[in-house]
Amino acid sequence: MPVSARVQPPAGNSGNVIRDSALGIVPGTLEPYLALNAAVWDAGPLPAAEVELARLRNARHTGCVMCQAVRYDVAISDGLTEEKVQMIRAQEPDAELSPRERLLVAFVDQYNLDPAGLGSDLRSALLEQFTEAELLHLSLLVAWFNGSSRCAVALGGMPEAMPRMEISIPR
Amino acid sequence: MNWIVDGLDRDQLLDRLPAISGPFRELYQSVYRLPQVAPETLELCRLRLAQLHRSDADFALQEVPVSAEQRAQLQDWPRATVFTDEQRACLEFTEVHAMDCSAITDAQADAVKAHIGEDGLVALLQALGVFDGLIRLGLLWQAAPAGVHQHAS
Repeated sequence: MPVSARVQPPAGNSGNVIRDSALGIVPGTLEPYLALNAAVWDAGPLPAAEVELARLRNARHTGCVMCQAVRYDVAISDGLTEEKVQMIRAQEPDAELSPRERLLVAFVDQYNLDPAGLGSDLRSALLEQFTEAELLHLSLLVAWFNGSSRCAVALGGMPEAMPRMEISIPR
Repeated sequence: MNWIVDGLDRDQLLDRLPAISGPFRELYQSVYRLPQVAPETLELCRLRLAQLHRSDADFALQEVPVSAEQRAQLQDWPRATVFTDEQRACLEFTEVHAMDCSAITDAQADAVKAHIGEDGLVALLQALGVFDGLIRLGLLWQAAPAGVHQHAS
């Protein structure tokens, strides 16, 4: 059952979905929040399509309807297809995913379900498929999206379903 | 010991990707400067998250001083008498947020807002996001934070 919005967003319409959301009523974190969000997309070695796959897998765990409905245009431009998105959203990773994509899913699942329980097999596979910088990027983006997605859910006001929406990175 | 770059602690690992860890740290540090929530309250919430995640290293870490009594009684906060009503509302919210953010009730959110307002609730949620994130990363990387100060618990 949908929860009513627990916080009113600020008055006004800047056209920036973060500034215009409830996050806009805490100016002390707004700029760091926007800077981190942009850095996760712009400043790491993983391509946007992989960032988006990890973000969407994480959104499945948090149950954020809005996060699951959104597609970032940079990921679409990077070649992310809706078919691939649906594979990522299945409970068990699709066999047609590449080994690297399956590891992305496994990493996000581990982060959400049992961060202290990473096994040696997954650890070795991650080190084989990803560089050090890619692993750090993946880690930080999952931490970031997980926290922001939990925040969105906890603030309430989420509908039961939303249509797919393509958006740009808010800056 | 962490499995990504042998011999590094969590902070040193973060330093290897400053373009992203820099903004992450800035957000993390900014929450303790917010006027909406007392830094001691946020620190108690961070410490409670560390307990729930069974991260001894994060429980040993001190970002903001809190009393030894509060540290010692944090696990049993519902029955303890050393916490303010504001801290108790935030701790209850923190516990549910950690387990299932969709399970937070209106009553729990209202209790937080009654003490620190709507903007305080948003500030608390942002803080919980980065606290939980850093604790999970430490567990996943098997890397403890640098400069941990041990406390009697």
